[in-house]
Amino acid sequence: MKKHVLFVIPSLAGFIVFFILPFLIALGYAFVNKPIGGAFVGLKNFIDLFHNKSYLIGLRNTFIFVGTSVPFNILLSLLAAMLINKLAGKRRELFTLVFLIPLVIPSGSMMFFWRLMFSSGGHLNGILAALGQARVKWLETNWVILIIFLWKNMGYNVVLFLAGLNNIPREYYEAAQADGANALQTFRHITAVCLMPTFLLVLIMSVINSFKVFKEVYLLMGSYPHESVYTLQHFMNNMFYSLDYQKLAAATTVFVLIITAFTQFLFKLERKVSQ
Amino acid sequence: MNRRGGTDKSERRTVRGLTSPSAFLALMSVLLALPLAVTVTNSFMTEMEISLRYTDKLSVFDIAEGIKEKFTSIALLPNEVTLDQYAEVLVNQPSFMLLLVNSVKITLPVVLGGLVVSLLGAYGFRVWRWRFKEAVFFAYIVVMLMPLQAVLVPNYIMADILKIKDSSLYLAIILPGIFSPFGTFLLRQSMKGLPEANLEAARIDGAGEWYIFCRVVLPQMRSGIAAYMMLTFIEYWNIVEQAVIFIKDYTKEPLSVYLSRIADGRISLVFAASCVYMFPPLWMLIVGQKDLEKGIELSGIK
Repeated sequence: MKKHVLFVIPSLAGFIVFFILPFLIALGYAFVNKPIGGAFVGLKNFIDLFHNKSYLIGLRNTFIFVGTSVPFNILLSLLAAMLINKLAGKRRELFTLVFLIPLVIPSGSMMFFWRLMFSSGGHLNGILAALGQARVKWLETNWVILIIFLWKNMGYNVVLFLAGLNNIPREYYEAAQADGANALQTFRHITAVCLMPTFLLVLIMSVINSFKVFKEVYLLMGSYPHESVYTLQHFMNNMFYSLDYQKLAAATTVFVLIITAFTQFLFKLERKVSQ
Repeated sequence: MNRRGGTDKSERRTVRGLTSPSAFLALMSVLLALPLAVTVTNSFMTEMEISLRYTDKLSVFDIAEGIKEKFTSIALLPNEVTLDQYAEVLVNQPSFMLLLVNSVKITLPVVLGGLVVSLLGAYGFRVWRWRFKEAVFFAYIVVMLMPLQAVLVPNYIMADILKIKDSSLYLAIILPGIFSPFGTFLLRQSMKGLPEANLEAARIDGAGEWYIFCRVVLPQMRSGIAAYMMLTFIEYWNIVEQAVIFIKDYTKEPLSVYLSRIADGRISLVFAASCVYMFPPLWMLIVGQKDLEKGIELSGIK
């Protein structure tokens, strides 16, 4: 049965060369003072990193964004999925389609629209001016980023939630109805309970997807945006330009550790819930 | 998967509250579709109207009238419908087409190369018998779950080692894309639906693994393949991060990065350019909505 290995080899070889190996090299760089012929410096690169002001701002902003976008994204998409789930046939397909459209449109295609909407002399400030309000510098706030992010990413969660809702046996609802349960009770005791595994899955995917926000921030605001929207990826990008391998490697190591710890925690939680 | 019908009893239960949820859903849909709708309608606007409408700089007339500040006002419909923008973008401006070709040059090799590697890998993981197989696959999942930010530095290091960092064929972007663990994961997930009995039957008939792969497995993978191709196409068509790091030459940029800068230059073409750029993924969505949904469901780990 040696032939079976042959099928795996292209994928596995590429995976090792382009992911595992460079991950290990990056890990090595994080502990030396220069990439070639460097000496072991222990945790110095990490200590430097946590004294770097831009890194801390990037890290803080990234956490704040994940912390706000994920709950909003989950709540709104759950609500949308529950409403769509009441529909059938063509209408159901159509509404799902509307939520999926932003997901497939390339971010660059929408940039001009967002600028017209949110720039200092833009449409939104025009409305505010008509109402007698002062201009707001929308492009320096997290709100715009959050709105664009939700606009683009809700569809993914809506599809996951719809699949989860679909798997709840209809008999449960019929039984609840026969027992005279109201809408809130039905939601709490049937929908919420049956949706728990889906919910955790959505949580994991939402956190991972929330890191994709850099695309929008970068395209809309460039390499050096206002401090309040400076993300971890901005820091990394600027390190790429200065070719500071040690800092990059240390930052990547910290990031990988955080993500791994977080996903492992959620998987453990999921296993507990499904039991 | 059976779709739960909406005309059953559970629907009637909510009839009283039906107007406001539907209104909410309708409102959300309008907000979701608005940016797209405006971009499409504005792509038929004349260059003149765009340059007059979408500037917040004061014109001589404004100053004469004593207007001190001006806000752009987004138009839902153009005053005059014309195809000039499209003619300009598709025919008269070769630079735009070059950037579109750049996007194709990045996306196509990743989608096709990745498909071959991932199909083989997914089938391999299914039939391969090795003690540590699942442990290896777990490594795939861990890397797959890493946000792009975590993978870029390793990608960069390897590109440096292989001296493909400045490759004009975008190898630094394409190769990690082809070998991305996501494809193998997604296709293995969608192969789970294949009954083992089918493969066994073919084996008993004396068919070789290659024959089974081509004649038994592949024909049943249509929807998985479509899902993989769409998800990967969408991701690489919208490439930003890798382009920012690896591409230094403006003429080599994909459209995604260029379009964000166009606003500083010839804004009169931006709507039509955006529409041309988003047409391929939109078309895929409309043709393959079911497959895309399936792909999203499968890409969630269970």
